[in-house]
Amino acid sequence: MELLTNPLSLTILLPAAAGLAIFAIPRERAGALRYFTLAATLLVFLVSLRLWTGFDPAAAVMQFVLDKPWLPAYGVGYFLGIDGISLLMVLLTTFLMPVSVLASFRYIKENQRAYYACLLFLEAGMVGVFAALDLFVFYLFWEAMLIPMYFLIGIWGGPRRIYAAIKFFIYTMAGSVLMLAAILWVASAQHAATGAWTFSIPALYGGALTTQAQFWLFAAFALAFAVKVPLFPFHTWLPDAHVEAPTAGSVLLAGVLLKMGVYGYLRLAVPLFPQAAVTFAPWLAGLGVVGIIYGSLVAWSQHDMKKMVAYSSVAHLGTVMLGAMAFEPAAVSGAVLQMVNHGLSTGALFLLVGVLYERRHTRMIEDYGGLAKVMPGFAAVFMIVTLSSVGLPGLNGFVGEVLILFGSFRVYPWLAAGAVLGVILSAVYMLGMYQQVVFGPLRHTENKILQDLNPREWAYLLPLLVFIVLIGVWPNPFLRRVLPAVDNYIALSKQQPAPPPASIGLTLGGKEAR
Amino acid sequence: MNPDPMINYAASALAGPLLLVLAAFACLLLPLFFKALRGLQGLVSLGAVLVALVFLREAPPAQLALFSGALQLSPLSSYLWAFAMGVLALFFALSIAKPPAPEESEGEYYFLAFMAAIGLLVMMAAGDLFTAFIALELLSLPLYALAGIRRSKPGIEAAYKYFMLGAFGSGLTVMGIAILNALYPSLDFAALKAAGPAGQLALGGFLLVISGFAFKTALVPFHMWVPDAYEGAPTQVSAFMGAAVKAGGVVLLWRVFSLFDGGPVWEVFWWLTAVTAVFANLAALAQNGLKRLLAYSSIAHAGYLAVAFFGGTRGWEAVLYYLPVYAMATIGAFAVTLILEKDEKGPKIDDLAGLAKTRPWLAAAMAAFMFSLAGVPPLAGFFAKFYAFASAVSGGYTGLVVIAVIMSAVSAYYYLRVTVVMYMKPPAASPEAPAAAGPAEAVVVLMALGVLLSGLFSRPLLVLAAEASRWF
Repeated sequence: MELLTNPLSLTILLPAAAGLAIFAIPRERAGALRYFTLAATLLVFLVSLRLWTGFDPAAAVMQFVLDKPWLPAYGVGYFLGIDGISLLMVLLTTFLMPVSVLASFRYIKENQRAYYACLLFLEAGMVGVFAALDLFVFYLFWEAMLIPMYFLIGIWGGPRRIYAAIKFFIYTMAGSVLMLAAILWVASAQHAATGAWTFSIPALYGGALTTQAQFWLFAAFALAFAVKVPLFPFHTWLPDAHVEAPTAGSVLLAGVLLKMGVYGYLRLAVPLFPQAAVTFAPWLAGLGVVGIIYGSLVAWSQHDMKKMVAYSSVAHLGTVMLGAMAFEPAAVSGAVLQMVNHGLSTGALFLLVGVLYERRHTRMIEDYGGLAKVMPGFAAVFMIVTLSSVGLPGLNGFVGEVLILFGSFRVYPWLAAGAVLGVILSAVYMLGMYQQVVFGPLRHTENKILQDLNPREWAYLLPLLVFIVLIGVWPNPFLRRVLPAVDNYIALSKQQPAPPPASIGLTLGGKEAR
Repeated sequence: MNPDPMINYAASALAGPLLLVLAAFACLLLPLFFKALRGLQGLVSLGAVLVALVFLREAPPAQLALFSGALQLSPLSSYLWAFAMGVLALFFALSIAKPPAPEESEGEYYFLAFMAAIGLLVMMAAGDLFTAFIALELLSLPLYALAGIRRSKPGIEAAYKYFMLGAFGSGLTVMGIAILNALYPSLDFAALKAAGPAGQLALGGFLLVISGFAFKTALVPFHMWVPDAYEGAPTQVSAFMGAAVKAGGVVLLWRVFSLFDGGPVWEVFWWLTAVTAVFANLAALAQNGLKRLLAYSSIAHAGYLAVAFFGGTRGWEAVLYYLPVYAMATIGAFAVTLILEKDEKGPKIDDLAGLAKTRPWLAAAMAAFMFSLAGVPPLAGFFAKFYAFASAVSGGYTGLVVIAVIMSAVSAYYYLRVTVVMYMKPPAASPEAPAAAGPAEAVVVLMALGVLLSGLFSRPLLVLAAEASRWF
């Protein structure tokens, strides 16, 4: 029963159950399917609010912990719990879900039952990744999520959807399988050292591993997460997947899935293998900065709005990685906050592009212009979101970026300087796009009859705007909850592991001499 | 344990196989005299297997050697027998759904199937190398005939290739056994293990035996017969070969493998495993026929199974869990193939286009089988791979596991292709539905539930497997 009384577990199980229950609704009843899904995701959001209200911001421990033995032979447990970092990620997920569902009402016309079932299963998987404190459970959710996302892109996506879906699946899976081997290795090393099997993440922190083993293990984890972030040069799946996915898919990809990569570094790769992490960190931060500049330059040259937003994600996540790899309180908490900010503002950008696409069936910047005259409401929302994305003071993006830049400047001054260049570039291309789409004369006659935002669209954009402004002017409630977790992360990254027993070594060949 | 319960146990354990023998002859002979029985052999056979499964009730936790040690009955053999009979029952259900044999050879078809099954049962419980070989022949000879039971060109080609290469494999095994027989006083597995390190000649003998068994299990480079045999044989027979015959081969290989602790035999196994995982997955990428794809997938899974060999007792436990999980996915996939097939070679992958629109539940089940074979959670195939690889890593064979996981990422591509065609391509021009095949659909549903649930709720099956593995 604890499975259902624990709000964290309920946040995972409820959408999964709803995903199954939706098959009881006849497939022709489109309205019932939509409102059922909307109600379910709203209910999940309400349940997850219980996590916010019941969370003790001062405590530096995992909260809402649930630990049920699952596969005792391997010491695998259904072990859940959240700290400040995962709290924000879980809430971001449950918050973006009803938004995505509302945004799908008109766009999705075919096979709606399967579509909404995929969204619900996806939600269960995403929350599960952020809530898992057991490596096995984490990997399970991490991989299981691929299936619904693969179908979302491949069935309801754009013209090149099949290519994009396969690329997304294979890239992520190829990145992750080595992580599976590494997970098994960590657990068996722990087993060899202590005589007990466990996959519990906190129990594996500070495990006895040689420096060389740490190096390889960190590399395996880092590769899986680098693909997901995506870190340059592992980002090539992202533009395809983002552009071809349906609007809701893009929102969730950008808003939540990319965060899993950074979250993986924060929760697993760095704390599990701190010595290797310290060696790798400057390189990862450097790749982040390369991503900022590269992503911005490529975004600048795009004519397709969705592609531009997709590449801007590469740049934003590069900033986040720079912060996460600085091991400095301001930078890391800025990175966590920026993950939320990016989810909100990039999610909103994808929604706005979707709004235009539903009306005109084109995403080319040249096909628009002068929209301020026919769609004033849209222009206003677009303005706020664009400014949030480029980091205007008073809006959410500013807080995160400033924290990251200030914090990381103390550690990597040159890299931080490079990141500042990226911030400037992002203002150039984002504002450039805004100007071309919204201002100027109404060149195309088709655009003269465009409808402004309808109530449904307002309904899903307004909550995003509220948080964009709220975090901008009053970030403290969010940062306060993140800081203890960030301190933990930094402490873990500095710890010295116990000396490894001589009997364990990493072999790629025959049987290890024991 | 006092003798009475042991005798009862032996009687009840052997009642199952004996019933199968009886049913085999009943299917072959009775319809000759009673016309009313013609066409009912399938139902009779299915009934007989289900009754035999009931006979396999819980065995006492003890080992019992019968026929001067030729048969070793234990909870392990009960587990394997239950698995084999389960596969046999599913095989019969598929044969009832679409009779593969011409009407006049129905009796032979079921007779041969029963004989093969008896061979399999003996093979799984064999206590010495020679019994194992005889059982292997009893399994193989009927299968050659079953593969060609339709007497059509693809069928005969399949039977011919299977027979030629199978006979070659048998020859190698018998040669090896002859060498070992000359060197060791007894071919008992326990005696062989106790005999200590093998000399140069004995090693050669063991390697010959291993090559022969590797033919049956379809490890690369002994796999050449598999794609053609699977493609040309009736789909039901391919399902049986994929699920059951492979299991028998794996059991035998493990018996030989566990006679050693490291050394050149393990090295040979290491290479066999690695080459199998790499080659089978790469070759599968190029396949267009669904049955050929499943054939290469079965070779690849033989490789993953062999990875678990390196994990000691835990590895054996993983193998015992892996076998039914793999069997469910592969029988399910063959059942879908059977429902959709219009000619003997089975559908091409592209013939599945638009299946999600025309038959959504069938497509969903097929997708579940594909994701399970690819090892994507939360399907059972992931758990099976997890246990197999975890045991090998804890045995110190990380390198092998790295190869295996990379190749399973490669395998995702060809399994995905099936789902792409079903879900993302428009239906073909003529969406005429093939004839309904009730029992085959029942098998599909059952197997789909199996791959969906036996992963997330793997504890019961895993406990059984762990219990059985202790009796090795």
